[in-house]
Amino acid sequence: MSGTATAPLRDAALADLQSLKRRHPDAFRTLDRRRVAGLFAVFAALALLCFGLWRLGFSPGLLLGGLGQLAWFTGLMLPPDPGSWSILLSTLTGLGETLAIAFLGTGFAALLALPVSLLAARNTTVSGAVRFLTRRSLDTLRGVNTLIWALIWIGVVGLGPFAGVLAIVTIDVGTLGKMFSEAIEAADGRAAEGITSAGGGALHRIRYATLPEVMPVLAGQALYLFESNVRASTIIGIIGAGGIGLQLSEMIRTLEWRAVSFIILLILVMVALIDWLSARLRRAIAGEAPGQTA
Amino acid sequence: MEAALTLDQVSRRFGDRIAVHEIALTIPAGSFVGVIGRSGAGKSTVLRMINRLAEPSSGRIVWRGEEVTALRGKQLRQWRARCAMIFQQFNLSARLDVMTNVLAGRLAKVPARRSLLGLWTEADRAIALSALERFDIGELAALRADRLSGGQQQRVAIARALVQEPEIILADEPIASLDPRNTRAVMDALASINREYGITVLCNLHSLEIARAYCNRLVGLAGGHLVFDGAPEALDDAAAEDLYGLNRPRSAAADATALIEPRPALPQGAAAFQH
Ligand SMILES: Nc1ncnc2c1ncn2[C@@H]1O[C@H](COP(=O)(O)OP(=O)(O)OP(=O)(O)O)[C@@H](O)[C@H]1O
Ligand SMILES: [Mg+2]
Repeated sequence: MSGTATAPLRDAALADLQSLKRRHPDAFRTLDRRRVAGLFAVFAALALLCFGLWRLGFSPGLLLGGLGQLAWFTGLMLPPDPGSWSILLSTLTGLGETLAIAFLGTGFAALLALPVSLLAARNTTVSGAVRFLTRRSLDTLRGVNTLIWALIWIGVVGLGPFAGVLAIVTIDVGTLGKMFSEAIEAADGRAAEGITSAGGGALHRIRYATLPEVMPVLAGQALYLFESNVRASTIIGIIGAGGIGLQLSEMIRTLEWRAVSFIILLILVMVALIDWLSARLRRAIAGEAPGQTA
Repeated sequence: MEAALTLDQVSRRFGDRIAVHEIALTIPAGSFVGVIGRSGAGKSTVLRMINRLAEPSSGRIVWRGEEVTALRGKQLRQWRARCAMIFQQFNLSARLDVMTNVLAGRLAKVPARRSLLGLWTEADRAIALSALERFDIGELAALRADRLSGGQQQRVAIARALVQEPEIILADEPIASLDPRNTRAVMDALASINREYGITVLCNLHSLEIARAYCNRLVGLAGGHLVFDGAPEALDDAAAEDLYGLNRPRSAAADATALIEPRPALPQGAAAFQH
């Protein structure tokens, strides 16, 4: 269609082809430097992958044999069945405990992370040095896995859900502190400037401009982390930090495969429920956030 | 009338760009001064320096014999409270209600423990509400600021400025994002504050027409230099042309800026991308 309309441009361009090539040599090259570098990176990544598979002794034969095992286990697991009322009861208690660990852990982490993140954000911190130190500390908290924190806290307060809560608080102060501070830095500074211009100080800016603006974002982030902590805290039970993981590992050890599948089923249901609930909540908070002026 | 505000050779540099160049200006109390000039002329920078949202690179700003540019800490905050600022984008806290936004104008007047907890006295609330009613938006007090139209938000911002009980109001293009009707409402609000309370108003304006209609004195900036200062009637077409650089290749002021640029390649309109 546009062929006729742009004919003059096309004719002019083709007539000028040689001199255009001379003026913009790079634009006519198919294999420019960037592409070569890109191809090289892809090949390097593939080579690394192959090396890794070889080095870790990955063998398709073993995997195929293992698949047979997997089918065998699946057979043993069907149908899911708690076996006895007492196991059903302890499973439900375990689930409740897992939920409580995730809830308390994330909640306390959010409460602690809020003041810390204010120190870590460029626009609300008291000084560059404080900001640097806070950020590095948050990195340290975050850099150690939840399981390791759980082991450490078990050493301090003993076995049980308390250690689990502390483990989640520890790592999530790191995670949320970092996420919060980034949300705070992304806040648009106009409202804060308005407060400054009226004679407000740093705390006034935080209270009347920054926090009202970023609160929905922070709440959404905390909810999302709660969601993922419900999933994560099933596992810390295995090492004795409370929750459903304990029952699960017990059943695996005693080869009660039907009970295992029953527990896993319940975990899946709970996780799905929490995900659904938290997603709805987050959407409600986010939907209410931007200025929907009529 | 006594000289209330004095700018004494005030300059502001951003890197090697001179945004404001040795401005000297004396403004009597109670004036309604329009600051005009094209985009990038330095209008916002001048206002922001007076409120101390920006620091002058050199020069002094004096208000009633008190050197504003020397204030620190608590005194600086008190000065900002006495020198209210109104912004083109309103700068309200979008998610807080209108009432709280207006009460924020009283932050510097109450002890921090009360303001931070939001424990406003009845007097504070009464002042805020009467300011809102003054601009016909009293019934919006409970609404969230981001539910309001631009014109309503700007009137909330003016109410916030007014409850600061300021001695001077600086308005940085307060009508640039408003329609003609809201423009009138906002400019009338500023004019009435100026008339009834004798509060000095300094207002950056893009529209010459509005500037002529409302101001009793115009100050023209070009390339950071003061190039016009006089009554609105004195700003004839030739002067306006000079100020806005219409049809003319450049003013003397633009020449001066060009000299400071290390590379000559910057087009004249380059500053227009900044706000
Ligand atoms: N924070 C800043 N950093 C760097 N340069 C700045 C900054 N603020 C302003 N400038 C520069 O200072 C000059 C004056 O800017 P200013 O905002 O005062 O102009 P203005 O007259 O208010 O323009 P407009 O009408 O577009 O608002 C411009 O050249 C701008 O690029
Ligand atoms: Mg401006």
